[in-house]
Amino acid sequence: MDFERSDTQRALLDALGTLLNRHAGPQRCRELAARGAYDHELESELRAAGFLDVFGEADAGPLEAVLAVEQISAQLGAITPVPHLLVLPALGLPVPEGPVVLADRDAPGPVRYGGEARQLLVAGADRCATAELSPDDAEPVPSAYGYPLARVVPRLAENLAPGTSQAMINWWRVGVCAEALGMMQRAFDLTVAYAKDRTVFGRALGSFQALQHRLAESSVLLEGSRWLTYEAAFRGATAESSAVAAAYTMAALHRLTRETHQITGAVGLTREHDLHLWTLRLQAVRAELGGLRAHRRAVVTSRWGVAAA
Amino acid sequence: MEFALSEADTAFRSDLVGFLDRELAEGWNRSECGLGSAVYTDFSRGFVRTLAAKGWLTPHWPPEYGGGGQGAWQHFVLGEEMWKRGEPRGPQYMNVNWVGPALIKYGTEEQRRSLLPPIARGDVFWCQGFSEPEAGTDLAALRTRAARDGEDYILNGQKIWTSYANEADYCFLLARTGSVADGRDGISVFLLPLNTPGVEVRRIDGFVGEHSFNELFLTDVRVPGTCLLGEENKGWDIVRRTLAYERVGAPRYARAALVLDGLAGWCRAAGLLTDPGVQEQFGDARALCEAARVLVYRVIDERAKAKEPSPMAYQARAAMVQAERAVGDLALDVMGTEALAEQSRGDAQFRNSLGAGIAAGSYEVQLNLISRLILKLPKG
Ligand SMILES: Cc1cc2nc3c(=O)[nH]c(=O)nc-3n(C[C@H](O)[C@H](O)[C@H](O)COP(=O)(O)OP(=O)(O)OC[C@H]3O[C@@H](n4cnc5c(N)ncnc54)[C@H](O)[C@@H]3O)c2cc1C
Repeated sequence: MDFERSDTQRALLDALGTLLNRHAGPQRCRELAARGAYDHELESELRAAGFLDVFGEADAGPLEAVLAVEQISAQLGAITPVPHLLVLPALGLPVPEGPVVLADRDAPGPVRYGGEARQLLVAGADRCATAELSPDDAEPVPSAYGYPLARVVPRLAENLAPGTSQAMINWWRVGVCAEALGMMQRAFDLTVAYAKDRTVFGRALGSFQALQHRLAESSVLLEGSRWLTYEAAFRGATAESSAVAAAYTMAALHRLTRETHQITGAVGLTREHDLHLWTLRLQAVRAELGGLRAHRRAVVTSRWGVAAA
Repeated sequence: MEFALSEADTAFRSDLVGFLDRELAEGWNRSECGLGSAVYTDFSRGFVRTLAAKGWLTPHWPPEYGGGGQGAWQHFVLGEEMWKRGEPRGPQYMNVNWVGPALIKYGTEEQRRSLLPPIARGDVFWCQGFSEPEAGTDLAALRTRAARDGEDYILNGQKIWTSYANEADYCFLLARTGSVADGRDGISVFLLPLNTPGVEVRRIDGFVGEHSFNELFLTDVRVPGTCLLGEENKGWDIVRRTLAYERVGAPRYARAALVLDGLAGWCRAAGLLTDPGVQEQFGDARALCEAARVLVYRVIDERAKAKEPSPMAYQARAAMVQAERAVGDLALDVMGTEALAEQSRGDAQFRNSLGAGIAAGSYEVQLNLISRLILKLPKG
């Protein structure tokens, strides 16, 4: 066991951090959000620098890809990092340019970047299907949650090999955990900083034990999410490890969202403040794959061999 | 990052599992239920001697004191496998995990020679005499006095909640050698044989599983100066350093996970495991057990690298409490009135979980420490 980052991981994250500082972050996110746009520029920078190939590399791999997804999400990168860095490589599929949509046959609904994406990957009962999308297939859905959403109804689909569906879902689960982790950490750090700076009744907000305990519990949830997610990636996203990570991380997400907004008071509810950039996007992650309830039931299916309810 | 045990530790785990399958086949059939009960405390007396003979009672101690010089992970794997079976070492885990190491670190040569071999052989029980009626969470308020009288000390006072004192041979006791105003700077550790005249053990009737509480009354108990561990008034440091890792030394999530598996079997038989609501509760409880596991592993990794203990241990402890509570609540929720039957899985886990956030440093104390030491929030 080794819970420390390796030299390779540190180097990778440093390089990624430099790139994201230039091409992502709250400022860039605001500009793109105003247009509801996908960040093609960021994607091509990531591609040119090799970050989209990390999953299959000899000196890196799925765990490093997960660390990258976490960091891209923390910096609000407006791309689709889960399909690009995890799901497509795990299925041995090429990573096309532009957004890719992941969909779950059992959990229909609007999808992130559905209007702009030209490729869709759907998890079926046993096999995945890939489909080309055209703008006519998408019906945009107005939304306040930080991502452009659309309902898509693909026309032509091509089935992949048997068993691909489970592999896709497992990596997708690990992926939403990694995204959530990056965003929850930023929302949490911002809230802890606020609790130290804000003075009420002549003392720091964070000196009240009622709030201290809630922040302390939140930190436990964050760390639990972190290490379950990394461990699941290390184990190759087995059905149980990925469901466990998602069940825990999504429960953490619910709690973190409430606590960060409660503790930052009214200012945290404004567009001017950065908190919402992470917390609203988090809700899109929360809803994917059937959400917390589905993740929890998937734990039971994988651990105790019960048919899905 | 690497989330796998070394080959040597994995091989050790499978040896151990085989050994436990054989040794526990008889006489340990209700390990999920009877933690702390008299029948299993008796069982554990024989069992730990078998373990000792195999070199697995104190594998992590240095060889000169009856240990195998093994690393932190092997020691932890041992603890985890024991808790996965409901801890057949009974109260022994205390002496092997921290009383022994404290003696090794702070004891005189004479203390080590006389006290360590019986622990390594599995011949003695120790108990922990910290809490007092007016000093629980606020341990520094303890009042039990140790007054010097020539070469001896005379102890007077009262301890409470002392687990296993009714069975134990020795008590690792905190007493005040300085004044109450000195707070934690006036406290010393005494290694008290419980058969010393003036020590009276009274049982307190509790309902936390089969576990029993005790009170210790100390009336003019005369002990030789050789019973003092380390320096006078430095007891707090000894406890802080020795117990730093022991917050996670009892991997309680492993027992909670064992109970959860048993409950899943129960629900399957009752036709409940396909119920979506029941499934959600199981998924949540399992995730909490697993989170506690990885957070504890993180602390063990630090220890294996011989780093200074960091406050991450408090997060791990808090996660363990959450896991135990979730499994206890689930047990009552899913089993219905069946859980009320004495020694059912639900009964044992629920009653145990009531004490999970109180024993060994309360849940709130862990949160206070996280706030102060990890989040660096301002003082209240
Ligand atoms: C099963 C079990 C076994 C035990 N075995 C032993 C043993 O072998 N030896 C031994 O010495 N002791 C033992 N104890 C005692 C245990 O260590 C104490 O019960 C514990 O330290 C809490 O002290 P208290 O019960 O006096 O509660 P109190 O200190 O009165 O606290 C009551 C409640 O208030 C909360 N609280 C207190 N102070 C604060 C604060 N500053 N901020 C926020 N909340 C606070 C606590 O968290 C707790 O929930 C055992 C207890 C249990 C339940």
